[in-house]
Parts: sequence; C-alpha cells; structure tokens
Amino acid sequence: MKSGRKQVKRMTGAMRIIHWANAISMVAAVITGLYIGHPYYQTLIADGAVDKYVMAWNRWGHFIVAIIFDVTSIVVAYLYFFSRFEKPYKKLIPTGKNVAEFGEVLLNLVTLNRRKKFDSTHSDSFNTVYFTIFHVLLVWMLFTGLQLYVHGLESGESSIGAWWPALLHLATDWTIPVTGGTLMDVRISHHETMWLIVTWVAFHIYYQIWRTIFWKEGDIAIVFGGSKFAKEQES
Amino acid sequence: MAERIDGVRKLFTSKSARVDTNRGDLYYQQLFDTCRARLDALREQPAVNRLDFDSLLTDEGQDRREFMKWVSAVTAMLMLPPMFTPLVAEAAELMNRLPVVWLELQDCAGNSEALLRSDGPKIDEIVLDIISLEFHESLMAPSGHQAEKQLEDAMEHFKGNYLLFVEGSIPVGAGRDWCTIGASGETFLDHLNRVAENAAAVVAVGACATFGGIPAAAPNPTGAVGVMDVVKGKPVINIPACPANPANMVGVVLHYALTGQVPELDSLLRPKFAFGYRIHDNCERRAHFDAGEYVEEWGDEGAKNNFCLYKMGCKGPMTFNNCSIVRYNEGVNWPIGVGRGCIGCSEPDFWDKYAYERPMANANIKAPTGGVEKTVDQFGLGLLTAAGIGIGIHAVASAVAGKREEGGEG
Repeated sequence: MKSGRKQVKRMTGAMRIIHWANAISMVAAVITGLYIGHPYYQTLIADGAVDKYVMAWNRWGHFIVAIIFDVTSIVVAYLYFFSRFEKPYKKLIPTGKNVAEFGEVLLNLVTLNRRKKFDSTHSDSFNTVYFTIFHVLLVWMLFTGLQLYVHGLESGESSIGAWWPALLHLATDWTIPVTGGTLMDVRISHHETMWLIVTWVAFHIYYQIWRTIFWKEGDIAIVFGGSKFAKEQES
Repeated sequence: MAERIDGVRKLFTSKSARVDTNRGDLYYQQLFDTCRARLDALREQPAVNRLDFDSLLTDEGQDRREFMKWVSAVTAMLMLPPMFTPLVAEAAELMNRLPVVWLELQDCAGNSEALLRSDGPKIDEIVLDIISLEFHESLMAPSGHQAEKQLEDAMEHFKGNYLLFVEGSIPVGAGRDWCTIGASGETFLDHLNRVAENAAAVVAVGACATFGGIPAAAPNPTGAVGVMDVVKGKPVINIPACPANPANMVGVVLHYALTGQVPELDSLLRPKFAFGYRIHDNCERRAHFDAGEYVEEWGDEGAKNNFCLYKMGCKGPMTFNNCSIVRYNEGVNWPIGVGRGCIGCSEPDFWDKYAYERPMANANIKAPTGGVEKTVDQFGLGLLTAAGIGIGIHAVASAVAGKREEGGEG
C-alpha cells in the first residue's frame, strides 16, 4: 500500500452479488430479447419442430433472467432505504450538500479530473443519481415486460395458481394507457428502454475504467473485492 | 380459509381479462332460473315479425339434428355448461321477438356483408334472418323520408327494448359536418346519439365502430372515433375485427335474448367469451413459433410447410380474438390458415400500430410516436453512437490533458 492511502470499503458482498447477477442477466436479456423481437438466426437443425424449440429456449432464457432482475430489483429497492452499509436515498435528497457534490463530480468529469473537490471514499451523489436512473429503467422494464408476459396466461391460470396472472394484471395493466393505449405501445416502450439501458451501460463501463486507469482511483476493484484505496484527505 | 382465498382472488381478478369458465353449481342454477324466466317473458311478447324459426330451418334444408349440434357449439362458445343447451335452442327460436336497429356510419358495409353472407345459409345466418331487423339503410326497400319514418316508428314502438347495432366510426372533429344522414341532413353524431337514447344496449360492430378503425387512422381527416367515445349512459358492447365475426354477433344477440343482459366484458368492452384469448395461444402454427421455424419470404419452403408467420409480421402474439377457434366463412378457414399473418384488426389503433404484415423489427409504420421498432432501433443505435462519440471525445481529451499534466509535473 502506498503511504498516504487508506483502504475503504465500498460494496458489501450482497451488493457485489447483485451487481454481477444483474450484469450477466442483462447480457442474456439483450441477446435473447433481440431474438424475440426479430428472430435473426435460423435454426440449422433439420429436426422436426418438436425437438428443437429455438424460440422457446430464447423466451425461456429471457424470462428466467427477467425474474432474476425482478427479484434483485426488490432487494435493491429495500437496500435503498434500509441498508446497514449505505442508504442511497440519503444521497438523493436534494439538500444543498448533495446538489453541491453532484455538481462537483459532474464538473470534475467534464473538466477531465481537473478539480477534484469531492470525497471519493464513499458513493457520491452523482453516482447515486446515476444508479437510480438505471434502477428506474429496470423497474420500467419489469412492468412492461410482465405486462407483455401476462397475456400468455390469458386463461387466468398458471402453473403456480390463478393469483399470479391476477396479480400481474393488477400490477401492470396501467402500462397500456401510459405508453399510448395498445399492447403494441407497451412492446415498443419495452424495446426502446433496452436501448437506454445499453447506452447507460456503455457510459458506466467507460466511467469506471477511466476512474481506474487514468484518474488512478482504482474503482474497478470495488466490484471484485468490495474495497478501494483512497488518498488520505486532511479534513 | 378457502373463502378468504376466494375473496382475495375475486379482488384481484375483478377487472382483469380473466375468463372464468366454472363458477360453481349454485351460480349456474341461479343463472338457469333467470334465463328460464326471461325466455318465458319473451314468449309472452308478440313476435315482431312473422318468421317462424322451425319452418325457416326446414325451408333452408336444415334438420333439427343439425340445429341441435349448432346449439351445443354455441352454448360452449358462450362458456355455459351443457344444461343450458335447451335454453339456447329456445332463445334462437324466440329471436323474432328481439327488435334490432342497424346504423351505418363511416364504414364500408363489410360487417353487414359478414352478417348477411347467405351463400348456402348455415344456422348462424338463419338465426340472424329471424331477428327483427327494423331498420338497416343498405337492406331495406324504402329510402329517403320513408326510410326515416321507418326508423322513427321503430324507435317509438320498441322504445327501450331494441338492440342498436352500429357499423362505422363517428366523425367528431372537422368531419362532423361533412357526414350527414337522411333527407334532414342530421350529422352522424346527432343521429347516433338520438337513436342510442332509446336503445336497450348498443353493439358496436367492426373495427371502425369500436376503436375508429381505418377512418381514424393517421392523419384521421374526419376526427373519427368509436361508439364508446360518443355514447354515454348506455351499455356498449364492442365486437371489433374487420369484419366482425358473425359468430360473435350471434353470440351477443343470443346471450341478450337468453339473459336479458350484456355478456361479461373486458376492459375494452369486448365480450370475454370471444376476446378472452390471444390468437397466438390457439394458433395452429404455434409449434413452429416455439421451434424457431419461420416463413422467411412469401412462397418459400417455410410457407409451403405452414411455418410460423411471425417474421413476416404476424400480430397474433398481441391480438385478442377467437378467430383461431371459430374461424370465418362457416369455419372453413381464417387469415393465418390461408398463409398470411394476423394484422391485429381487433385491437385499438390497428391500422397505425398493427396493420399489414410488417415485421416489427423492420416496421416503419407511420404512428403518433413517430414510428415503430425500426425507428426505435435506429434511435437506439444513434443514441448509443452519440454516447460512444461522447466517450471517445472525453477519452481523447483526457489522455491529452493527462499527458500535459504529467509533462508539467516532470
């Protein structure tokens, strides 16, 4: 360890598990989702329909990772308020301090790390807002996706009982009028939001690599080991 | 405990599209008694036309056995248990006590055509022959003032008792003054509202009357809307599709004759017995969808082998209708059966958002959102490119700035 640096814990084990579960799920969801929207590859197997189920496998994979997403969303929503480590909602309240911190991080970003007037030993306000946007997008995917899904259970029955489709209708039917009035609009919105999330991911990966390599903050270590090294600051 | 679970289930399912096909013996016994009383009351009423169902059947070369086969099919379609079969038969026979007024507004008469298709009539059409069609501009002999008189008489005579079928959309925007009806030049809007006021219930038939259909497609020059947007304070039943399936029209009329009530409706006011299921879930090509076997272009090997039409733009996965079950033209065939995709004609905004066999991913449908998935993909790729360019500029600038800084330090 370089002198003048200290090790700070930034992510708990649970947070890291959630992060990687989400990352892997997302890659799977994008690949399978693009296939479902437009089945771009043909099956090369010459068997009868009964043996291959290409679309069925893609839909299966899509739904499985979607369910993982949905469950982690619930956990993340809980941790926003009740985490014993950091409570992200505290960084979302637009207090003077939070707004100033948000501004400082943003200025540091656009001035290429020229004015580092914020503490990087904890999750800053900019980071929290940025991740909140991601979670909002995910929740929107959850509602629109489940709305598209529940119409395959239109008999009102499912393998786990009638309560499940009933609950899905109750929880997601509002997305139809909100997106424009038809199931097609829900579908378009679900598809469109995927692009927003992919764009979000592009910036996220770039930002973390940049902070690690060029700004020498070692942030990538956080998501593997849970901690990073930060300069000791005189406070 | 079971009661509580039932209560919770009821709470969750009350407004959903759930189709409950088994409501228990008690419910059906009560419904049976209600229907019995209703049919007895109907029998007491004088027939509004002199058509006799039995002799009509004989004239058309149908025997009683054929008829009873049809009756049990209809009973099943209405999701009633077999004990209702004799009541449904009776309701069909008493159909000549049910006055119907039919209005045509902004339409192509396709639904009238579907209703009256009489090339070798089957039981459906015979049943529809026997309803007392008191007014139908395209079918009746009188015209002009005489036709209007006929309508006035029917409205007066059957006040509060007739079923009003409406075909075609209603212009309420700039077009409301262009579209008038009859010698008095009454606008469609006023005409519909006046006739609907004394109706027992209003049945909107076809894509135009339900959700505006083709007249309401962008840019909607006449400001067309569906019946449910205009008629207030009356039960409205939507039977969308282009054209509406005669089987569903018969179903609604029979249900009304039998119970005196409108059938159970979904959130878009469509009868659940007909629109409670997705086409996709009952499609004969569904196995090919799951297998990833698609028609790639019209007339290819896949098309010859009846592969799934999803890639050709079939909208079956988003469309609610029973045409994959009851089919059209005497149950002979239906769009997907003849090798073309579903165009979602029973869904709202179908022309702008569903329409022809445009595959979703390649579609550039002119829609209020600016486009469908093709536009979304282009926009998304553009957004991602913009982010990439932004990242690139930031990266290069940072690298240059970083070197300068290091140089300064050293």
